[in-house]
Parts: sequence; structure tokens; C-alpha cells
Amino acid sequence: MTTVLRQASLIAAKDTRIFFRDRFALIFSFLFPLLFVVGFSLALGDVGPSDDDFIFFVSTQEERGISRQIIESLTSAEDSSVVYLEYDDAARRTEDGEIDGFTLFPGDFTERLFGDPPASIEIALGGASPGERAAIRGFADSIAGQLGQIGTTMAVIAEVGGPEALGRADPASMAAGPGLVELEAEQVGGIEPVPATNFTLPAYLTMFVFFAAAMSAEAIARERQNHTLERLMSNGTRRESVIVGKFLTSIYRGFMQLAFLWVVGIFAFNIDLGATAPAVILVSLLMALASSCFGVMLAAIVKTHNAAVSAGVLLSMTFAPLGGCWWPLFITPQWMQSLGKLTPHGWANTAFNKLMLFGAEFGDVLPEMGMLALFAAAFMAVALWRFRLSI
Amino acid sequence: MTTDKVFLSASGLSKSFDSVQAVNDISFSIERQEIFGLLGPNGAGKTTTIRMLSTVLEPDAGDVEIGSRSALREAGEVRKIIGVCPQEIALYEELSAIDNLVFFGRMAGLGGKEAKEAARANLELVGLLERGRDAVRKFSGGMKRRVNIVVALMSRPQLLFLDEPTVGIDPQSRNHIFDTVLGLRDEGMTVLYTTHYMEEADRLCDRIGIIDGGSMIALGSPDELKASLDQDGDVTLEEVFLNMTGRSLRD
Repeated sequence: MTTVLRQASLIAAKDTRIFFRDRFALIFSFLFPLLFVVGFSLALGDVGPSDDDFIFFVSTQEERGISRQIIESLTSAEDSSVVYLEYDDAARRTEDGEIDGFTLFPGDFTERLFGDPPASIEIALGGASPGERAAIRGFADSIAGQLGQIGTTMAVIAEVGGPEALGRADPASMAAGPGLVELEAEQVGGIEPVPATNFTLPAYLTMFVFFAAAMSAEAIARERQNHTLERLMSNGTRRESVIVGKFLTSIYRGFMQLAFLWVVGIFAFNIDLGATAPAVILVSLLMALASSCFGVMLAAIVKTHNAAVSAGVLLSMTFAPLGGCWWPLFITPQWMQSLGKLTPHGWANTAFNKLMLFGAEFGDVLPEMGMLALFAAAFMAVALWRFRLSI
Repeated sequence: MTTDKVFLSASGLSKSFDSVQAVNDISFSIERQEIFGLLGPNGAGKTTTIRMLSTVLEPDAGDVEIGSRSALREAGEVRKIIGVCPQEIALYEELSAIDNLVFFGRMAGLGGKEAKEAARANLELVGLLERGRDAVRKFSGGMKRRVNIVVALMSRPQLLFLDEPTVGIDPQSRNHIFDTVLGLRDEGMTVLYTTHYMEEADRLCDRIGIIDGGSMIALGSPDELKASLDQDGDVTLEEVFLNMTGRSLRD
């Protein structure tokens, strides 16, 4: 055991010295992730509510009826964020891009409210962003939900040929009466916009720590091909020493990447590690552990350094988007979130997002931590089983 | 079986890769302080034989005894008394010559100070002490070959395997390597040397084994092998070699 640790330490020290002499490796490990973090943070901006209140526009094609009462009750409150527009005006302003869209009660709304098929509320959308669409849809769903068996259907103005596609109506008057529908908005605590770096930094850190580890497999495969590993073997070096040494090299480099990017993130980008900073650090360490084991495993299963490069790039560029390094996993469809769970990146990013975006605490990310440790153990088991010193 | 006189004994060594029989039932021995040449055309099985002798490759059949220890059952012990210089330049080109030597020395069990002293001594042996701090990638082919050899000396071996150590280098470097090898033999080291250059083997080796198609087809001193060729006048080792292995091209 002492011999293995001694030899492994010597290998790790030698490889680290070579790493620091490789300018490209340094740029790739430290500068590239930093550039990605800066670039994508600028592109994404802050993640969170904007300072402007969102205004919901409603219209109806009924001249009279229940829809008029609903609109009255929605718009009458003093601090209401609901604004009534005449249908033609709403359709024109949506088409011109002045507003993102509006909720529309069709002309037969009251007639069909208790009939079969049941009434529906329509949504007309212009160039709304996904978030704005979701908000308008949620607004309509909220009204529909309070009225019982009413569905919402969506029409996108640009796609259905302009306001004519929704039909014309000339509402003459609005019926007065008690409020049929009430919207409630509840804000819990002060919601601060989250800096985009809270997502981009851990995401690109994960991507580049794994990428660097995958690329270290190329260096190991090259050593196998130029017979330095075989030379070490005939020199009395144990196979286990080489495996542990290569693992130590990779994890040491991973730790340096973590330290560099977290420090830059905290001091230069003012990122917030969330309520439980030790959990963020522990997830980072487990992620580096899994990545190092992944690199050694990759070196164990490829034959040539060319194969190592190909496999390293392919796996890194597949795992990164699947695992939520390019976009947050929580905005992706369920099937993609399920795929993400097949990668260590997915578990790491889920933990980082929980901690740094949603204020989770230590216990909330224990499953993710456990999975990262399991990935590390599985990768190392394969490495120990398959690692060869000679071609 | 090794004795006071015999340092390496190989018996019935065989190795095949898939359907290719690389080495077929080879037996020979090397005496202490002897330079033994293993000659053969490309693909004859020389490197496979060296890899089995140096404990890197496990034979399918046969056994190897080095210094009274089985290379199969006591590989760890055998590795302490052998040094291997592979055909390839098995060095870390980003590191300096001295860093390479110190690293391999320390991996062989030397302490830090001991490894540095041995590295300087070995670099001096091959005339590279002044360039010791330079990265190996800046060296010429001949200089790399010389470093490649002395890395194998860092563990202070009793038996040195040199697999084609003079491939692709100039006559000056080659001569320097010859002198080094002869000097090592004079200091008590046993050497197994493979080469394609017959004049090299003739000059250096006390005994020669010619291997072809995975089998040992001739064994003896250079003079004995020349005498075996029933021909008048001066016979060169190359003529003996071509006579035994044929003139057809090999891969």
C-alpha cells in the first residue's frame, strides 16, 4: 500500500509538472470555461422577475353576457394588472407587437358556458417570449379553472393570418354585476433577480472539468502507445500505482479548476452560493471525483490516443447538453430531464441549480451527492477492471 | 536453470497473438557479464521475446529464470534486477533529461538525492550532462536514444535489455552507444541486445541467437556462426544471416 501511494504520488507530481508546461492545457482548463461563463452570462442576463409589472389584456366578442361580468370583476380592482381592450384594438396591437397577446372570450361564451361542447377561452399571441406565453396561458387557465369545465385554446396571431382569423365582434356594452372571477397574486418574500452566472458558472465548470478529465485519457493512451507505461511496469511500478497516480493527477487538476472558477465567480461576478455554501463545495468535489474516475475509465477502455480523443470529445459534447450544462435542465421536457439523469453532469447541475437558484439546503441535495459518488465508484470499478499498461 | 555462470535461462517460450504464432518454443541462456545478441528480420519475434523476458508479457508456455528467480512467479523481484530500453523513445518529451531520469529512478525505488546523483552520473556517461536541463523534445534523435538507454540504467540493473537502441541515429551517436554498452559489460552488467545491423552485433556481442518465424534457428558466437557457413574466404555475419533467414522481403 505504501509503495502504491508513493509511486502514485510521484506519477501525479510528474503529470502535474507536465500539465503546467502545456500552455494549451492551461488555457483549455482555466481560460475557456471563464470565457464561456462570461459570454453566456452576458447573453442570458439575469434570471428572475423583471422590475416591470406584467399587464394582462382581455377582450370579449360577446356584446353582453357573463364574459362582460368577468372582465368587469378583473379590471375593477384598484391595483388590477388586467386591462380591457376592444377586440379590434387588442388584435391590432398584438399584430403590431405593441402587446404580447391577450385573452379572448369568444362570442358564444355565455351560450356555451353550460352547454356541450363546453365554452372555451382563447388566447391570442403575437411575438411573446416563452415566459410571456406561459404567463398569458396561466392567466387564462386561472379564469377557466375557476369557472369549472372550461378549456383554453390558443391562437397565435402571426400563424393564423391576423386578427381576422379570430373572427370579428363589436362588443357594445359591458354587463355590470358581482365579480365572477378573482385573481389572487401572492408574493412570498422579496424576490431578487438571480445572476445568470449562478447557472452558467457551475454548468460550464461541470462541463470543462469533465472535458479536461476526458482529455486526460488521451495523455494516458499516448503514454501507453509510446511505451512509457510499459517501461514503468518493467521498472517495478505496479498497475495500481499508475491507476491511482493518473486519478490523483486528474482530481488535482479538477480541484484547481474548481478553486479558480469559484474564486473568480465569487469575487468578479458576485455569484451567490446559496443558503448552504458547504453543500455547493461538496457537490463540486464529488463532481471532480466522478470526472477523474471517468477520465481514467475512458483511458482504460480505449486502445489508442486517437480513439481517446474521439471518445473524449464525443462523450463530453453529448453529456454536457444532456446533463444541463448548456441550458437549465428544469426548463427542458420531462423526457430530457430523465435522459440527463443518465449522466453525472445531470446530477451535478441539478444539485447546483437547487442550491444556487432555488435556495435548497444540504439535505435536499443528498440524492444528487449520492449519485455522483455512485458514478465515481462505477467508473473506478471499470477502470480497475480494464486498465492496461501495455498495448 | 540459472547457475553461478548462467544469469538468464529461457526454456520453451511460446507466445501467439490471435492466430499468429509470434514466438515458438524458444530456449536459450545468457551468461553473466555477457552481451547476447538477438538477431532476426522484421517480425521475427525479437521484441515479443524481450517483452516476455522482461516480465511485461506473459508467455503462453515456457518459463524464464533471471538471477535464480522465475520471471513468471516472481516478476516483482525480477524487475528489481533488470533494466529495459525499449525500441521506442519511451520518455516524457516535455520534461528535461534529468527530470526523466530522476522520475524513473524514483519509481524504481531510489530516494530523491540518490536519484539525482544517479541521473547526473548516467547523463555524464552518455555525454549529455551539460544538456541535462533541456527538455527532451529539443534533443536530436541520437541524444534521445542515449537518454532512452540511460533511463534503463537508473535502477542499477544486473541485466540490461536493449531493443534496437541504435535505430535511426548517426555514426557518432552509435559509436558512443557501443562504447557505453561495452563499458557496462566491463563493469559486470549482462546485456541482451537486439539489432538489425550485423556489423554492430559482430562488434559487440559475445554470442548471438538468430530468430526467424518465432523460432531460434542459430545460436553461437559470431565466429562460430560464420564458420557454420561452409564458404571460402572472409564471411560476414550479414551473409550468415541472409543465408539462414533467406533474401525475401519481410514486413
